[in-house]
Amino acid sequence: MRLTLPVLIAHGRYGRRMGLGPESRINMLRNILTGLVRHERIETTWARADEVRIYAEKLIDYAKKGDTDEKAMKMASFWLTEKDLVHKLFKVLVPRLGSEQRGYTRLFQIPNRDSLDRAKMAVLELRGNPFPPLVTRQPASDGSLLNQLLRGYREEATRSRAAGGD
Amino acid sequence: MSATGLLVFFKRSFLRLESRILQAIGFNNRAVPALAVQGPGIFPQPHRNEETEEHSFLDNVFWMAAPKKRRTIEINRCRRRNPQKLIETKTNIEPCSECGNLKQKHVLCGFCYEKVRRETAIIRGQIQAQEGKPLNNPAVETVVLYEGEKPADTDAGKRIVERKRQRPSWFTQY
Repeated sequence: MRLTLPVLIAHGRYGRRMGLGPESRINMLRNILTGLVRHERIETTWARADEVRIYAEKLIDYAKKGDTDEKAMKMASFWLTEKDLVHKLFKVLVPRLGSEQRGYTRLFQIPNRDSLDRAKMAVLELRGNPFPPLVTRQPASDGSLLNQLLRGYREEATRSRAAGGD
Repeated sequence: MSATGLLVFFKRSFLRLESRILQAIGFNNRAVPALAVQGPGIFPQPHRNEETEEHSFLDNVFWMAAPKKRRTIEINRCRRRNPQKLIETKTNIEPCSECGNLKQKHVLCGFCYEKVRRETAIIRGQIQAQEGKPLNNPAVETVVLYEGEKPADTDAGKRIVERKRQRPSWFTQY
């Protein structure tokens, strides 16, 4: 990890302050996490999405221990306020994401919110969700300007090499 | 004339001279008030009404900082135009490779994201309609099928959401 100035000033602290206090922060993140597990793609402020990411990954790590594990069940029932999602977590998300070590979530920044606060927004999604993908990697087509120029350069080089060789 | 008389005369005249000098300086213990009247112990001070008197700002103006010289336009220009005061140019703006709208390098394209967001919202509306009541999420995977698509073998136990339109080009089937 890069030793940037904010990282050094933090002296190892990585949790942000949110809401009215630590309890309020946990409640807020719990609601967002429940929303994430239900909808699999949510849009919030970037700071909240970044915090929820930590808790989402830890929750899935706990859930990987299995349905029968008491600690895992306690964690799931605390963090997911809607109880039908506990079943979804153990039966759907764990088989889907179980093969990966980390990185069950993806975070992208989107343009700032339209309202007066112009807040820094992000979209947080679970891997393998059924929705259309947010980033599509288009392979560079031959018709793009850069590729055409490179092609012309390559042809000229071969021509000059052939002429020089003759 | 006798010697003692002369001495007495000199002594008296010297004392008179001394008293005249002291009078001139002000050490006069011989001044007796001409008229004595019974009155208060202290002389009454003229009563200054603090509220009515105006504490004008200009009373203290002698102790405030003020510019000595007019700042010339050259100096003004130096201050106003130095790079610290100018707006920084952003070099992280580029056109989106899909739609051509401008986007920041580390941010998703607004136009493309809006397309995806609308489609996601419609799909979610369909899911909600399928579930019927709240908190009714089935513990199965979901798959979205467009017009003319059949569920594949891998979509065996999944919940199917149907969309009555052609599959958009940006929704690739992995």
